[in-house]
Amino acid sequence: MSLIIYAILASAISGSLCGVSGTLISRLRISTLVFAIAHGALCGAALGLAIGADTLITAISIAILTAMIIGPISDATGIPSSTIAMVLFSIYNALTFIFILLSPGPALAAEKVGGILWGSVLAVTNRFLTLLIATLFLYVLILRILWRRFQSILFDRELAESEGVNTKLYVYLLIILVGVIITLSLKIVGGFLVFSLLYIPAACSMRISDHLTGRITSSAIIGSLSGISGVLVSFYLNLPIGACIVIAASIIFVISILIAYIK
Amino acid sequence: MGAQNRYKGNFQGTDSIIELYGVSTVYAGEKRPAIKDITFSIEKGEYVLISGPNGAGKTTLLETILGLLKPRSGKIKLLGYEIPRRALEARKLCSYVPQDFIRSPDEVFKAKEVVAMGIASNRPLGKLRRDDWRRVEEALELLGISDLAERPIGKLSGGQQQKVFIARALVRDPRVLFLDEPFSALDSKSRIFLSDLLEELHEEDKTILLVAHAPPELKSIDREIYMVEGRIEKVIVH
Repeated sequence: MSLIIYAILASAISGSLCGVSGTLISRLRISTLVFAIAHGALCGAALGLAIGADTLITAISIAILTAMIIGPISDATGIPSSTIAMVLFSIYNALTFIFILLSPGPALAAEKVGGILWGSVLAVTNRFLTLLIATLFLYVLILRILWRRFQSILFDRELAESEGVNTKLYVYLLIILVGVIITLSLKIVGGFLVFSLLYIPAACSMRISDHLTGRITSSAIIGSLSGISGVLVSFYLNLPIGACIVIAASIIFVISILIAYIK
Repeated sequence: MGAQNRYKGNFQGTDSIIELYGVSTVYAGEKRPAIKDITFSIEKGEYVLISGPNGAGKTTLLETILGLLKPRSGKIKLLGYEIPRRALEARKLCSYVPQDFIRSPDEVFKAKEVVAMGIASNRPLGKLRRDDWRRVEEALELLGISDLAERPIGKLSGGQQQKVFIARALVRDPRVLFLDEPFSALDSKSRIFLSDLLEELHEEDKTILLVAHAPPELKSIDREIYMVEGRIEKVIVH
């Protein structure tokens, strides 16, 4: 397959995964936590560059580690998890710059740094696409099997907990999945913009549908459309792929506002 | 600590549904306990009213018994399960109607879905059976809100929302019912209806813990625990 087909496929899958995740994260009000995870993934990718390891593995490791430690640190210290997430976010940003400067070769080499900061189509390899498709299947499968459980937690986490649901288990499962999705998407969209792809489709879907399943479906479609159109614009105008995807998502957001206004 | 030692010997081997021995709960960042040195037990089928002024610790007490708040000291047993260690198992057999129930107008879940969640919590992987939906319909009918089943809960009035939460609690057929200010948003007719409904549940041998700031006339209350500043001030046996 040609590079553009690979890129379109990967961006469409990545966009839909991010869209769905954004909708679920917004409902759970764990945006700051996921914000820290996204920057943890970016820091992990930079670490990979610095030590010459596979950036995907280092990024996923730090993203999952972040997802796993915020809750226990919060429980142990009594400090709100959002505060810990913001502290980690700052630390990760600082470490990202240090790791980039420490990476071998000329510092801030455009191809190398660009790959993790604003994404690259060159990241879309056979292995990457396979991983993305496997993640998509796993994500859909888990959401389908556990949908009623998630529904109850998404409606009211404390009430679900009072009825004997182990909400921590399900929320952590979701956070880890989102961590993996962010890490994979980071390769295409870049560390600075991956968060936008999580939230813009989710924000659009809130204006389009009045039901949660409708919002999830529409955010998946919007994320996917943003990915496809972003790749096409990026190829046509020779601009960074991540920036084009996020601008495409933003244009869809503006259109959704206009449609809601006209209605 | 003193209370904990005092009751250590009595903690095991009782048939009570709820047992608390020297329980104190402190919120994170606070020095003063929200409830302090609480000791009482509730037998099967008892209908207990917990009353007292604002800030007396009534809600904290309910949430501590359910294990939603961790006690700093003392021991709790709910349906024979140690709390908070085995809270998940105990909670499966209980229902809770929280004080803060009002949803924003953009809440998307339908009333019948919210009620169904009460059953889903007790089903493996949350999967509902066909007859579960019949139970949901019956619960909505019991509360007189069948016509609201398909409406998003955020679009309902405060009183209607409160009825949805009560229906969710009842559909679980709980052994212990925890109700935190369940009359707060109801009109006078609905208050009388709920009061009568609780009486019927009491006759069916359900254990009921009702927190009410200014309760309506409750005929069949067995005991009233009156709290002030996190402590039990008095217990009135009816």
